[in-house]
This record gives sequence, structure tokens and C-alpha cells, in this order.
Amino acid sequence: MSQATPEKVIAPKRQRMLDMILTLSGLKEESTIPISRVKDELENLKKELAPLTDAILAFPDSYFEKFLEAVKKSNITAEINDRGILKESISSLEQALSIVESVSLKALNKILTDTLSRMTEIEEHKDVSVDIDMTSTMSTISDLISEIESITDEFEKAAETEAESARSELVTLAESLEETKGKVEKDPDSALDDLQKLGSQTRYGPGLRSIAQVKRGKREGRIDDARFNKLVKENLLTEINRGVILFILSKMGSKTVVQIGELMQTPSQIIQDALVTMIQRGEVEMVGLDGDAPVFSRVLTETQNSTLLMKRIVQQVRGMVKSVEGETADTMNEALGRLQAILERLKILGAYNEALLSDSINKLRETVDSVTEALLTAQTSEDADNLKLLISAGLEAFARFRLKITLEKGPTLVSGTNVYGEKLDPEVYKTMMDTYLDNELERGTILILIRELGALTVHDLAERTNIPSDRILRHLLRMKRDELLTIAGESHGYLLYDVPRTLSESEITMQTTSGLALQLSEAKGELQRILSDLKASDIGKLANALEVFSKARDKLTSVRVQGAVIDESTLSDVEDKIRSAVLLTYRTRAKIPSTRPKVTIEDLLDIDVPSVLDEYRSQMGYAPLLGFGTIEWEQSRCLGCKSCEIACPEHAIELKRRIEIPKLFEISDKALSQLPSNRLLFYKTVQNLATQKPSNEIILEKESPGFGTVEVDLWLCVACRICVRRCPGPEGGALELELKWSLPEVVKHITSTS
Amino acid sequence: MDDNKSAALICTCGKQLQLKYDFLETQVSKMNLASSVAVHDFVCQEEGLAKIAELLKANDGHLVIAACSSQKIQPRIDQYLKSHDTDSTQIQYVNIREHSAWVHEDIDQASKKSADMIRGTLARSAKAVKRSLEQKSIPAHVTVIGGGIAGIESALNLSNFGYKVSLLEITEELGGHVRSLPVVAPTGKSGKEILNDRLEAIRNNKAITIKTKVRVKFVSGEQGNFSIHYLSDDDEEKTLNTSAIVLATGFKEFKPILMDEYHYGKNPDVITQFELSCMLSEGKLARPSDGAPIKEIVMVQCVGSRSEDYKKDCSKLCCTFAIDNSLELLERIPDATVRIVYMDIRVPFENEMIYKESREKGVDYIRGRVSMTWEHEGKTYVRVYDSLLDKYLEIPVDLLVLSSAILPADGILELSETLGYAVEDDGYVKELYGKLRRNETRRRGVVAVGGITRPQFVFEAITDAQAGTLMIHNELQGGTIQAIARGAVLNVDDCVGCSLCAQQCPRGVPLMIEQTEAEEADEEQKILFKAAIDTLNCHACGVCQSLCPSGATQLNFLSNDQLWSEIAAVLEDAGPENPITLCFYCEECSVSTIDIVGTRRMEYPANTRLIPVPCAGRVSIIDILKAFEHGASTVMIAACEKDRCHIGGNGNEIAQVQVDVARDILNAIGWKGNRVGMFRMFSAEPERFTKAVNEMVTRAKDLGPTPVHDGTAGKWREVSE
Repeated sequence: MSQATPEKVIAPKRQRMLDMILTLSGLKEESTIPISRVKDELENLKKELAPLTDAILAFPDSYFEKFLEAVKKSNITAEINDRGILKESISSLEQALSIVESVSLKALNKILTDTLSRMTEIEEHKDVSVDIDMTSTMSTISDLISEIESITDEFEKAAETEAESARSELVTLAESLEETKGKVEKDPDSALDDLQKLGSQTRYGPGLRSIAQVKRGKREGRIDDARFNKLVKENLLTEINRGVILFILSKMGSKTVVQIGELMQTPSQIIQDALVTMIQRGEVEMVGLDGDAPVFSRVLTETQNSTLLMKRIVQQVRGMVKSVEGETADTMNEALGRLQAILERLKILGAYNEALLSDSINKLRETVDSVTEALLTAQTSEDADNLKLLISAGLEAFARFRLKITLEKGPTLVSGTNVYGEKLDPEVYKTMMDTYLDNELERGTILILIRELGALTVHDLAERTNIPSDRILRHLLRMKRDELLTIAGESHGYLLYDVPRTLSESEITMQTTSGLALQLSEAKGELQRILSDLKASDIGKLANALEVFSKARDKLTSVRVQGAVIDESTLSDVEDKIRSAVLLTYRTRAKIPSTRPKVTIEDLLDIDVPSVLDEYRSQMGYAPLLGFGTIEWEQSRCLGCKSCEIACPEHAIELKRRIEIPKLFEISDKALSQLPSNRLLFYKTVQNLATQKPSNEIILEKESPGFGTVEVDLWLCVACRICVRRCPGPEGGALELELKWSLPEVVKHITSTS
Repeated sequence: MDDNKSAALICTCGKQLQLKYDFLETQVSKMNLASSVAVHDFVCQEEGLAKIAELLKANDGHLVIAACSSQKIQPRIDQYLKSHDTDSTQIQYVNIREHSAWVHEDIDQASKKSADMIRGTLARSAKAVKRSLEQKSIPAHVTVIGGGIAGIESALNLSNFGYKVSLLEITEELGGHVRSLPVVAPTGKSGKEILNDRLEAIRNNKAITIKTKVRVKFVSGEQGNFSIHYLSDDDEEKTLNTSAIVLATGFKEFKPILMDEYHYGKNPDVITQFELSCMLSEGKLARPSDGAPIKEIVMVQCVGSRSEDYKKDCSKLCCTFAIDNSLELLERIPDATVRIVYMDIRVPFENEMIYKESREKGVDYIRGRVSMTWEHEGKTYVRVYDSLLDKYLEIPVDLLVLSSAILPADGILELSETLGYAVEDDGYVKELYGKLRRNETRRRGVVAVGGITRPQFVFEAITDAQAGTLMIHNELQGGTIQAIARGAVLNVDDCVGCSLCAQQCPRGVPLMIEQTEAEEADEEQKILFKAAIDTLNCHACGVCQSLCPSGATQLNFLSNDQLWSEIAAVLEDAGPENPITLCFYCEECSVSTIDIVGTRRMEYPANTRLIPVPCAGRVSIIDILKAFEHGASTVMIAACEKDRCHIGGNGNEIAQVQVDVARDILNAIGWKGNRVGMFRMFSAEPERFTKAVNEMVTRAKDLGPTPVHDGTAGKWREVSE
């Protein structure tokens, strides 16, 4: 193993890591001062702040009073067209009012709510009547639907027969599972072996992996017996249940929890628990309802095109229903109902023979398209607008989808590999893209609706689009994370989501002011609370609260109503006071010691690096490295094949031209016997020929495949463990990675280089 | 595996060999592994061949033939047995003529050596296995990359052999450089004339698909199953499945922009030779700068060629092209003056004729170099140093024509990354073996033809294309490959997945396959691989076998057990009184050289024992150490010269590594490292072999008994315990 040489230039990646260690272990330390001094300092601060606080606390009230007057006078609320802004402002004000009493804020809120209700009234509007004769078209549609229904019946019959044949296999599975369960208490070790066997029968990857991990943990002594028993009894049994569930879903079609429970003869509660994780893992999805019970299905690698097409048709018809009236509406509603039922059934079926369906479904699509077109040209009502929106959303999503496919990394990941040599399975990629398209369609719809109709809640969106509200929520959260949406307040307990908009001056004014009103109210409450009993630990909060005042004041100087700043005199009057209060607080804070412990280099010996990393990750949201590690190389198991060097993504490991031949004579017979046959023969022959035990290692002149010494450059190693995993040597390979790193070594290094 | 007894058939070569046949017969009949012994006078003649067939039948194919060089006798025997429908794959040969009787004066010693080598060969034969005919079907489809003359010719030839062909061309039109040649030496025809028939044939040929404006990005797969990934003319990435690839991307002309003395790229009247060819083909002869008539022409040879800075060697074609073009110029403008500034005029083959003709027609040859070019009042001038007159000439020119160097086409390095052929230092594609395997590349199923391997005249490119076609047809056999698989066979169960074979195989035959299913269940989250070897693609050098730590991959005609038992048997009588030099020799260059030593009756000591291996790379360090363990005094490997690997790679380098490491280890464990040696030779250098073998025999004598002889081997255990 190589020692780090101090003259090496530190890599940026490593520098980040060292900074992290310094920060977390508190090596950057301030000097301590006695507790008595702290008290004195706090008293001083209190005294100095006293004359300032009243003015500071009073300034918001004064400002908002003036602001209210200005609003009334100028009637800027009339210029606010965006309901989202209104709702958001109202929500901020309501919150502010819940914290502090304020007459002016209350009045302001009243004005805004009035404006909002007036706006909503305007939109309660006229009905436009339409009358198109579509009887003949509707009967065609109805015929086609009947045709599809009968084909779907056939599909279901076929699926039923298939399921029947899987049943016997399941029975054996369930029996051996039952047997294993009996063993878990008495003999967890052999139960684990049984579980592994069961696992390979169901071929459930995650299950097999966790079994392997537990086994390994047990063997290496990382898991004690009690914990091991618990893991086997609970986690691993659940994993195997998951395997069986997946077996059922893929061989016997979609099922409800109760149905699965009956098949496995297991309480539904256990099934339910197992399923939740499977959904998170993306193995299982809900595809429909059977009565009230959700029906689950395996996530298919590919959704049948006909199912997708049917989905589109359903969406289209759903849009159309709203645009027609009377008898047509009834027939169309009936058709919609039947179509929805078919769609559900197709989804539950998952895979089926598409060819049988394609004719009728294509005809159906053409007919529905023509009706849509007729409706679109014939109408101008808002409902027709909605319909247009839905359709354009679909188009937009398709367009974006195509663009993304061509632009994004997907294809290169499929054909090439990333830096760690991982490759994306084309099948997985296809699934990703299919769900992606599905999601994009729905997201497109949601976005367009919000863009056109102003901020909406999950509830509103669900009503308009008929997409289940949990899905809508997921989309909204996702789009918010992508910064496509912002939260624009609240309505009846639902959050309002809105697209980022370019706002008018009045709108900005109202938004900023109400937002600041909320912040100031909070800060005011906080400030009053802290000052009533000033403690050393609150010093940071005090500074923060004062900072809020300072920043809010600065912002308010830029808020204008009809070109004028409101309450300018109070604002400028309070400016100095706030500033000195902030400065005083900071000065005191600087004199009070931090709560961090003082750390010496020796203490670093005990730092558990993995936990430091975890802490860092939870604080910063990322970790600069996969980990720290020390890699040990065992000559007796090394085949000199260089696989580690080839596999290492960081070029940290290398087969050096050196044979540590003395060590070849120290390999135990047991270790020798584990070696591949020719390697064993080589070592044996060398030992047989030797007249003396060599004392010096051999330096090889040139690269010699099959011979050498492995060295790891710990300054480059990111502890990704790929070399360990790739090593083909006997008994788990010649390399071992311990996730522990000599920190004093690191610190010595920093101090010598920086 | 059980040891099988073999019949031994010893040939007297028409009673001509100086060996004690009685002694041989009694010795061999005493050997455990011999079922019978027969001495025959003419094994290579009809009656001898019949005897062979008879013995094969009686011994289930296990037969050792002690006769002359297997290089000579084996083809004859194989042919005979094939026509008699008898399997010959288990026969083992031992050369008692060139390797023993003819090279040792002392008849007793020669007989002793022969007996030892027969014993060794019997041991090898004991574990020989029958190899049967294997078959696989592949699509009879070949892809030609490059639509120049070589590519077109390849496509036509391949389709004549019944292959479907895809011809990929990067530009819009087929024909390449030849399209623009006004005259093609030595035919006197224009490039268009040469091409027209072929282009028409190719258009009418339904088996040939032409794709123009396509760019090959990369290639995956192996012979019989290549996928070519290319960008089509609308920039869409497409793939094409094919069984073999003809690389015919041709050359590009060097543009001497950076050579200040010529003002190329700055002065429009300075053009390259190929640009003049284009001008002549198009028929418009006028000064590019102002359209004025051309009267004064200076051509400069070796622009970029034979220059340390650009192309180090001669471009071969430029002299001929310059003369062709100057004759063409004189024909079109009879009163023009053409001067050719040259270093040496090199016109190979019958092109010498046109050189003579040009002299007669008044082309002025000036031996020297151009030192500068300048423009004055709309006229271009060059200053030429005439080295014969030792004078500087200043010549006004209408056209300065630069015969610039011929370089390999672009993209060759990029393509080599996935196509796996080797590239020479100068950027041309490296042939598998310069003398014997010219058109093959290191990658099986990829041949390189035409200007991409070296500058070539049109007729050479055509011959090359035809040769390449035969090469491919030889490999693909029309789509049904049938062969007695002779090569490495992998026992997947033994494979540990170390990838040493895949890393070092000269032809890239072993493929590493990730075992994803096993990984899923693995407790250590190991990344698991197994090799996969298609024996029909293998060239049977044994490098993989030498390196394999688990004995998973072994040649089906020379397993580890076969070689080890042969070593043991050959060295049975080796000892301190009978110091033996064991020589592993490769059946490429070394066997020819050693056979020549025999035919020339060149004497060398008889205490040598020879063991054949297909390639020196087959000898592993274990084999060397085993030889010492069994009593050899010195061990040598006779191998091909450096960079002259017949498999196209590193076979003898792997052998060198084994020898070097063995030497280091011997030194470390109390032996003398120079008991092992590596010697290289070309295929006809008998002195090099005798010198080598004498050296090793001398060392055996000088170094005396080995620790094995002394009984000190393994003693370290007692000391430490």
C-alpha cells in the first residue's frame, strides 16, 4: 500500500473533502471567553437596544396604515388581473393577521377579498347552446365500442387460462414459503438459505440483493445475532413476499390486495405493507379499481400502443362531452362510460394481442377525431376552449417529448456508458420514455390550464381534467421542483399553483407588500419574544429577526403606488435605528463563543468518517465523494490480471511492475488451495524449485501480463468499490475496501500543503 | 483423462537416415504408451500411407509418426487420409530427420535423442482428442467502406462470389480520385474510361447496395456478426449488419499550406498535382488567377514526401503522375514549357517508358529544390536551386504544380478504436503480416485494400481489391463456414473472468460477457464476467492458454496436460551426467529455420530436445519451470522476430515476458537465471538457431548440475522450519 507523498498537489475534489472535514470537525475554532463576560455583553446589548426597539416595532403599523390609504385613493386593486396574485396576497395577509393584530392589514385584506369575489362573479357566465345532429356518428361509435368490448372479452378469457396454469406453480411456492416461515424462529441461518433459494425461484432482484447483503453483514460480524434474527424475520420475509407478489402479478395478471392475499394465503395487511415499497421501487403500479379496492399490476416494460391510443380517445371524448347537450350528451356520456371501462380492462390486462384490436380501435379513433373537429369548428363556448386546450396540451407534450428524446442523454447512455462503466438497458430506457410520455401529456394539460385560467388547486385541476388528484399532486410537485410552477397562495385549504408570470406594477406592489407584511409580522413576534428574555443562545435568532426588519424596510422603499413611495418619512426615520440595532447584535454575537467543541488533531482519530459523510450529505444535500476508504491488497489472491486497473473510473489503482516474491513463500496452504489451478501450480512449482527463500522483491523491466503488485493511490480513490467488485481473485478477490480513512494523515497533509 | 496408447510409425526415409533403427524399435516398444512399433522405409509413399490408415484404425486414431518435418509430410498424409475418409486430427509428428539424424554426427546420440523425442510425442499423443468438423452459418453479406476504385472493385468481385454487398461512400459520387485522373498509367486511358464500365456494372448489380453521403461512426461485433453504425445523408444514425468489412477509404492529398516557399493557398496559380489532374479532366486549361493562357509550368516533386516534417518516406505515385500530367499538358498546349524540379525520379514498372517519352517530348528535368515563390506585377516567379549546375534559376511561371505527399484518408484512427485493426506510425492501416498476410488486418473479418495501406497505383489497388475479396471468401466460405476447429476452447465453468485472454489475444477473439444474473444473487455485489471464445474465429496461437490462471482456455490440439506430460517424458533421462537443453520452438518462423538447419546438415550438439508449439506465446512460465522440475539443465524458446508476429500481435512478446519473469524468479530462488533464454529468428536464418542452441548447451555445461539434480530444490522449507 502506498503512503501519501506530501509533495503531491492536492486535487480539487480532495480539497473539497478536506474543507468538509475541517468544517464538520470544527477545526476552524474561535477562542473562548468566560461565561461572566457573556452575561455582561448581553446586558449591554439589551441596554443599547432598548431605545431603538420601540421605533422599530412600530414602523410596520405606521407604514401599512399609509399604504391602505394610498390603495383606497388610487384604487390599484382594479389593476390587478391575476387571480393568483390576489389569492396569494390574501393568504399572506391572513397569515400575518393570525400572528399580530393590525387594523390596516385587516382592511387591506377586505379590499382584496372583495376584488377577488367580484372577479369570480364576472366569470359566472352565459350558456351557449349548441345543436349538432350526431346521431349517426354516435351509433357508429357505439357499434365500434361493442366490437372492442367483445374482443376485450376474448383477451380476458385467454388471460384467465394462462393464470390457471400458473396457479399450481404458485401453490408449491406458497408451501415452501410457509415451511420457511416456520423455521425462521428456530434456525434463522438455514431459513435464510431457504429464502435465498425461494428468491432465485421468483427471480426478484432487490430481494436477492438484500438477502446477500444480510448474509455478508452477518459473516463479517457487522450484524449481531439479535439484529440478524430480526432482519430475517421481518425484512427478508417481506422481500420474499414481494417476490411472490411479483410472480403472481406477472403470471396471473393484475390483482387486488385481497386477491393476492387469498392466493398466497397471507393476511392482506402484510401484502399491503409489502406493496407500498414495491410501488416506490417502480415494480408495481395501480392500474384501476375493483369496486373500492385498487387493482395492482406489474409495471410493464412497454405499454401496448392500443392501450395508449384508447387512453387518448377517452381523454378526447371526455373533452367532447362537455361541449354537447341533450340527447347527444347522454349517448356520448354512455359511450364515455363504456370506453373508460374498456380502458381500465385493457390496463389490467397489460399485455395482449394487439393485432386483433387494431382495426376497430383505429376506426374508432378516426370517428372520434372527426367529431372533435366538428365540435371545434362549430363552437365558441368556454367549454370548447377547454377542449382546445386539452388537445393542444397533448400536442405540446408530444412535441416536447420528441425534442427531449433527440436532445437528451438517453440514446448515448444506451449505446455508450457513463464514467463508472454502467450502461442503460434499452428496455429500461423504453419504459422510462413511455411513462415519461404519459406524464408529459398530463403535465402539459395541467400547465396549459393554469396558464390560461390562473392559479388552480389540485382540486380544481382534478375536476377539469378528470385525472386522479394524487397524480395531479405528484405532477404539480414535480413541476414546482423544475421551477415551472410556483405556489401562489391557498384556497379552501388547497395550495394554489401558478406559473411564473410577468406582473403589472400594481400586482407587484400588492404581492411584495403583502408578502412583507407577513414577514414583518413574524419578525415582530419573534423580536418581542426574544427581547422579553434575552439569552445567549438566542443571539443568532435576534440578529435574524432584525435582519428581516432591515431587509423589509429596504424593499419597502422601492414599492411605489402611482409612482410615489409610501410613508417615506417613517421609512427613512427608522433606517438608522434598524441598522444600529443589527450592528449591535452582531458585535455582541462576535464576542460570545460558539457552541462548538474544540477539536484537536488527535480527536480526529475517533471520527467515524462514514457518519461524517452522512452528516455532510444531510446538511449540504450532496457529498463530494462516494466515501473514504482504505484499500488492502492481498497478494496471495491476486491474479495480476489488471482488471481492477481497467475498471477503476478514477485511475487510482494500478498494477505495478514488481513481484513481491518473498510473500509467495508465506502463503498458507489453505490460501494456496483456493487459487485457480494454473496459478496454484505456478506457485507450487516455484516453491518446489527454490533452494532458498527469496529476500528481495523482483522489479520487472516491462509490463508483464499476469504479474505485478497492485497499488492504490488513496488521493485519487473515491471508494466506489468497483475494483473490489471486479476482482476475479479467489475468496471474494484480492482487494478489500474498508470505509474508514486515516484522518490525521489527511490533516497532516493539509497543514503541510496549505 | 485416461492415457491412450498410440502406435509408433518410424520412417527410415528410404534407409537413408543415420539412426540405429533396431535400438529405436526396442526402446520404443518398451515405452508404456506405445501400443506397437513399426519401422517403415517410405511413410510418405502409397504403401506407407496405407500403413498409416491401418494403424489409425487399429489404435482409434492415436498414432505417432517419427519421420521428416511435419511441414513437409503432414499435408500429404492429411490429403491421403481425407480422400480415404479417415480422421487425421489426433496424429502427432516427431521430426527425427531434420531435427536429429541430419544434424548430429554421433549416431548413438542421435538415436538416443530420437527415442526421447518419440517418448515425449507418445505422451502428447496419449491425451490427444479427436477434433471434428464444425459448421456455422452467417449472412453472406459484406460491407465495403469507401467507394473509390478499390471499393468498387471489391464490391464487384464480392458480388461475383455470391455475396450481397453494401458499398458505403462518404461523398455524393462513387469513383474517388480516379474519377479526376486525365490519364491512368500505364494504360493511357482516362480515369473516367477506367471507371465507366465498372460503375455501370455496379449499378446493374442487384446484389450491391450503394449508399452515398454516409459516414461510418463505429463498428461492433465480430466476424460473421458485425454491426456498422453510420450516419446517413440526412444525419440519421443507422446500423447495418454484415459478416465482413472491406476497408477501402483510400488516400488524401497533402495540402502544403504551411510550406512557405510555395505560397500554396495564397497564390491561386500554385496548385497541387491532383488539382492539375482535375483541371485537365475538366478540360479548362487557364491560369486560375486571371484566366490567361498557360505557357510556363514548373512542377515540384516531393512536396511533403521524403521530409522529416511531413511524410518521411516516398509517396511512390507522384513522379509518374507528374510525368503523365506533363505529357497531357504538352499535348494540349504544344508550345508550353514544362519543367520538373525533382530530387530523384522514381517511376516504377513500365512507367519508365513514359519518363523516356517525356524526355523526348522536351520536358525539362531540373535536379534541385524550389527555395522561394513570389509575385511581381501580377506574375508568379519561383527561384530554383539546380544542384547539378550549382546555380540559382529564377523562372516566371503561369502554373506552379506541387506534387504533394499522399497521406492516408481521414478518420482511420477513430475507426480503428472499434474496428480493431492496427495503425502504423505513418497513419496507414497495418497489414497482419507484411510478407504472407498482406490484405488482412489484425481484426478477423476486416481486410484493408487500396490506398489505405500504402500509396498505390490504380492497377495495384485493383489487384489489392481482388486479393481482399479472396481473403474474405476464404474466411466466410459463402456464408457457411465449415472447418475442423483448431484453436482455443473455453471451459466456461473454470473461467474466473480475469479477462487476461481478452486483453492479450492478438486477434481479439475472446469476448468478456458480464454475468448479470449471477451478479444479482452475489453476496459481495461482485462484477462478474466470463469469457466467450468462438473457436472458429481463433488463430490457435495459445497466448490465452499461457496466461489463463485457471486453465479454462486451452488449445484443442495441445492442452496443458499434453504439453506437461510431453515435457516430463522427453526429459525422463535428463540428469547431471546427461545435461539436456530443452527447446520450445514455434511452428511459424522457427520451424522453418530449424528445418533448414537440418537440410543444410549444420551440426549442433545432440543433448538437445525439441518440442513444437504453435506459437512461442503458447509457452507459459509454468511450462518453463516444469522443464526444470523434470531435470532440464537449460530451457530456450525459439521464436519469431520482434514485430513480426504471424498472428499479427504480440505472441512472441508474451513468450518474452514468460522468459524474463522466469529468469528473475530463478535468480531470486537460488538458481541461475541464464538457464533460460529467448532467441528470435526469421524463417530462414539457420545460423541464428545453431548459434542460439550452442549458447544454451554451453551454458548447460558451464552451469553444471541444477538444484534439481543436486537435490537442493525445495530445501528452503527445511531451513525455515
